[in-house]
Amino acid sequence: MLPNRSRLSVLVFLLPPLLLYGVAVLFPILQSLFLSFFSWNGISDMEFVGFANYVHMLTGDGVFWRSFFNALGYLAICLVLQLGGALFVASLLTSLRRGRELVKTLYLLPAVISTVAIAFLFVRIYSIDPVGLLNQVLGWIGLGSLERPWLSDVNTVLAAVSAPEGWRFTGLYMLIIYAALLAVPQELEEAARLDGANRWQLFTKIRFPHIRPVWITTTIMATTYGLRGFDIPYLMTNGGPGQSSELLTTYMYKTAFTSTDFGYASTISVFIVVECLVAVGFILLMLKRKADA
Amino acid sequence: MTAQTAPVTRPVPAPPSSPAPRRRRRKPNVFRSLSRVLIVLIVVVQVYPLAWLFLTSLRNEHDFATGDPFALPSSISFDNYVRAFQTGNLGQNILNSFIVTMGANLLIVLLGMMAAYALQVLGFRFSKFVRGLFLIGIIVPVQIALVPLFIDYSSVNLLDTYQSMIIPLAGFALPMSIYLFSSFFEYIPRETYEAASLDGAGPYRIFGLITLPLSTNTVVTVVLVNSIFIWNDFIFANTFVLSEGLKTIPLGLQNYIGAMGKVDWTATFAAVCITITPLLLVFLVLNKAMIQGLESGATKG
Repeated sequence: MLPNRSRLSVLVFLLPPLLLYGVAVLFPILQSLFLSFFSWNGISDMEFVGFANYVHMLTGDGVFWRSFFNALGYLAICLVLQLGGALFVASLLTSLRRGRELVKTLYLLPAVISTVAIAFLFVRIYSIDPVGLLNQVLGWIGLGSLERPWLSDVNTVLAAVSAPEGWRFTGLYMLIIYAALLAVPQELEEAARLDGANRWQLFTKIRFPHIRPVWITTTIMATTYGLRGFDIPYLMTNGGPGQSSELLTTYMYKTAFTSTDFGYASTISVFIVVECLVAVGFILLMLKRKADA
Repeated sequence: MTAQTAPVTRPVPAPPSSPAPRRRRRKPNVFRSLSRVLIVLIVVVQVYPLAWLFLTSLRNEHDFATGDPFALPSSISFDNYVRAFQTGNLGQNILNSFIVTMGANLLIVLLGMMAAYALQVLGFRFSKFVRGLFLIGIIVPVQIALVPLFIDYSSVNLLDTYQSMIIPLAGFALPMSIYLFSSFFEYIPRETYEAASLDGAGPYRIFGLITLPLSTNTVVTVVLVNSIFIWNDFIFANTFVLSEGLKTIPLGLQNYIGAMGKVDWTATFAAVCITITPLLLVFLVLNKAMIQGLESGATKG
């Protein structure tokens, strides 16, 4: 603590940031919580309905549950592509001698591009008429039977809208994991190798335990980002066909701004926040416990 | 910076045929060749869609509709770029994105630095609690703020303004910025502050004369990392902005989907290429700083 500080100076430095943060983040959270107990379309009088919105959401709304499970599927695909892909590529990269910087740059490239552009790009890649990149490649390598309109087929659409999100950020997580892998002490690896450890043992016994703290951070990042995924599904399919690619976030958005049901939309967004908090708690619990074991 | 990002020793690049360096013992190079092939393959898959995007923006329409997507364009034409500028409002969109990015970054850097200074350097009784409050903003998804802000904005007439985008973008980015500045301020030795205090400098002068000038590197990191997300923000702009004159790039691009879903793909792709260029250039020029920023941002968590 600075000797000459006064209470006033603390306030001078702290109040402006707290004000912005309060207006943009804290107050809206409380407001959502408040609104979730009302029925309101933005024009007529607000009507207090108690827990009716929550009861309806959890027991009477098929679309909500559909979106919830879709969101879990979306999250799973994103996590596998982002974290799995990142760990794999980062490990490969450490065995590379030249061109690491180039690979890092190229791999991170998609993260710089806006989601609208990515949505355009992938709509074309998935299209069948005119034939898009993906179907062309499938025909080319002799898997022509798999060709399909990926975005209008109810069985593939969820995977099709998840993949671009995974593709977009895998480079970011790769960078982080790669930096952590480089920090693993060479002496440890050397010693293990002298003791006759193979590559797999080296990875599971030395490298992975060493990067576990970073792994926890990236898992939390990827999970919270996956749960708030919105842009790409919204832009590519708007949740369709039917509700087969509807996520909680897109459902909330439509409830709020298409059906202007602000109360119920707030209920859904409160659920999304709770879901994020639960997910973070769960990850911390699981990964921390494994570290202790 | 922490040990995670501390100066990293890279193995000296050596041609594969030369005798293996000390730490890699002589061993069959199958694994290494295999991983090299895999890396190249993965990078191609990762980058190809972007290359394809660029190539398509140079094709003429006939070539695009009938041609093989892997072939090089039969003739290079810049017509698409001309049409891209005619269809949309690209100049205005880029300007708007620029204004929003600058405005939000200014708030993020200045307020982030101030909060970190109060939390880390000045210190006060409830600083743990305040830190906890800011942590919420990292975990909570931005969608929670859409409905409340929409209602609040319409009651104070802020809908459809630059501020309506800047406020939530800055607010949600603030915690990470505070976090990065705090962990940097930890490394400014306490003696510096004590010496300045003995010389009679108060907290404001110390902030202006010591903390601020020392933080340049962290400022660059914070600005670069946030710019990626702010420049590309879709959800706040889409929710709060209606008029053409205020649309940022992501919204402007949507104009290219014409009536009845008929899309002029080659012109659209040209527009996409134009809009990603500014950020791409910054990224390629400053990619060392940006990569370092992204790495340190997370490894410190």
